Amino acid sequence: MQNVIETDALCKTYGSHRVVDHLALTVPEGCVYGFLGPNGAGKSTTMKMLLGLVHPTSGTVRLLGKPMTDANRLALLQQTGSLIESPSGYLHLTARENLEIVADLKGVSRKDITRVLDIVQLTRDQHRKVGQYSLGMKQRLGIAMALLGSPKLLILDEPTNGLDPAGIQEMRELIRTMPAATGATVLISSHLLGEMEQMVEQVGIIDHGRMLFEGPLTELQRHSRGDLTLRLLHPAKALPVLRANGLPTADTGSTLTLPPLRDDLLAGLVQALADSGAGVVGLTQHTKTLEEIFLTLTAPKEVG
Amino acid sequence: MLKRCILAESRKLRRSPIWLLFFVMPLISASYGTFNYLQNLEILHERWYSLWTQHTLFYSMLFFPAMVAAYAAYLWRLEHLGHNWNLIMAAPVPPLDLFFAKFCVVCKLALLTQVWELTLFVACGKLFARFGDWPPVELVVFALRGTLGALAVIAAQLLLAMVIRSFAVPIFLAIVGGIAGMLLGSKGYSLLWPYCLMQAGMNANRSEDVLAGQAVQFAAASALWLAAMFVIAYLLLKERDVKA
Repeated sequence: MQNVIETDALCKTYGSHRVVDHLALTVPEGCVYGFLGPNGAGKSTTMKMLLGLVHPTSGTVRLLGKPMTDANRLALLQQTGSLIESPSGYLHLTARENLEIVADLKGVSRKDITRVLDIVQLTRDQHRKVGQYSLGMKQRLGIAMALLGSPKLLILDEPTNGLDPAGIQEMRELIRTMPAATGATVLISSHLLGEMEQMVEQVGIIDHGRMLFEGPLTELQRHSRGDLTLRLLHPAKALPVLRANGLPTADTGSTLTLPPLRDDLLAGLVQALADSGAGVVGLTQHTKTLEEIFLTLTAPKEVG
Repeated sequence: MLKRCILAESRKLRRSPIWLLFFVMPLISASYGTFNYLQNLEILHERWYSLWTQHTLFYSMLFFPAMVAAYAAYLWRLEHLGHNWNLIMAAPVPPLDLFFAKFCVVCKLALLTQVWELTLFVACGKLFARFGDWPPVELVVFALRGTLGALAVIAAQLLLAMVIRSFAVPIFLAIVGGIAGMLLGSKGYSLLWPYCLMQAGMNANRSEDVLAGQAVQFAAASALWLAAMFVIAYLLLKERDVKA
């Protein structure tokens, strides 16, 4: 499988502040790639460098197998759709007029406007001024602009930012199905892992401009497993079992907090606890926040 | 690609408040010029030419640069607001084409403004000064020449509005430029300052042709200033990081 985005030792320095630090980003063709990191981690700057909006201090960018150079830039942008830093658009114009402007700039047929309006479900509101749109509608218009001309690569910077839960759900569905529906590869950034989990296959985690983790989501989920909360009827009966498994046994009443465990070990433990007569009432697996995962990624591996 | 950019740029003017300015400002300028003419009939004896000087002096020094500045500032304001810089700079078009398209659109507006101003001039001459004849064709030539001189001002204002995110500051600078232009022009340095070119082209403050015998120099100065502005715009668009 070809890589649609490849960066090598990509750096951006503003004054003495290094915003992006030797970043190696690899996005395989046909996937939805989640680019995760807290605010200010360097996600937007990286995405702008991919598009040539910001000039790298050093390092290289390759899009669709070609280096991003002055000579290649327009040809590569022709095959790329983007939404950077919250929605763009001209507020005194309608959604359709906005899309006409973008279609003109991209050299795309007008017919495509109807298609993208339909995809983002703005067909009914296409003749309303964008100034009257809600944030969610503006985000969807931004996506529609990016989709014009059926680009091979979509670069979306926090497209779920500011959306309500229903809007996030819609956006998630839209993006998750994008590779299958349009053949596009999608690079999408967010500062919330939970938002990404149901739509991406590959993830990259960036902090302070450096890539902390890059790989399949399933591998990250191993890191994201948080503590377990175990609720028991007879905690005292559980203590010998826990001790036998080498787990901490501090007595905290009817609930016990356990460190993250591999699935097979956890199943065995629950079986043993049930057999001991401790009375397992509930088991809750906590998911770590992105910040906690950062600590995991830079700290020793989990138990088990 | 330039054609596509111009088309896109023209679309942005739909329902734009800039059209109000387009109609109102020349009205104010023409009223002021006609009033001045009628108040000074005892010293102004050259009929259409005298009315022309009254109409164009403040128009070419203040109103026109301010209007061109407002057109330019408005077109860039659309990009400064709402992160549209990202949108246009990620479009598959050469960045200078975006600048050139805005230049073409402002030129079109400036030319329409000149036509509107000329119409008002003729109307005022007929209605208020009660001239029985038609104005000399030469004045139309002055107006066209003024538009040529204005090209450098348009490019300069587009450059200022591109760099300065404020709407008002570039317009203020245009007025300062126009006034400085009048002072420099009166000292005979018309060709050395872009904001003079418009006034010199319009023949705004004298009845005799200030550019007689200097047509080539005038055209060369206009072209040089224009080229200089485009080179600066090209370098800024190419080298600067996009800040939306």
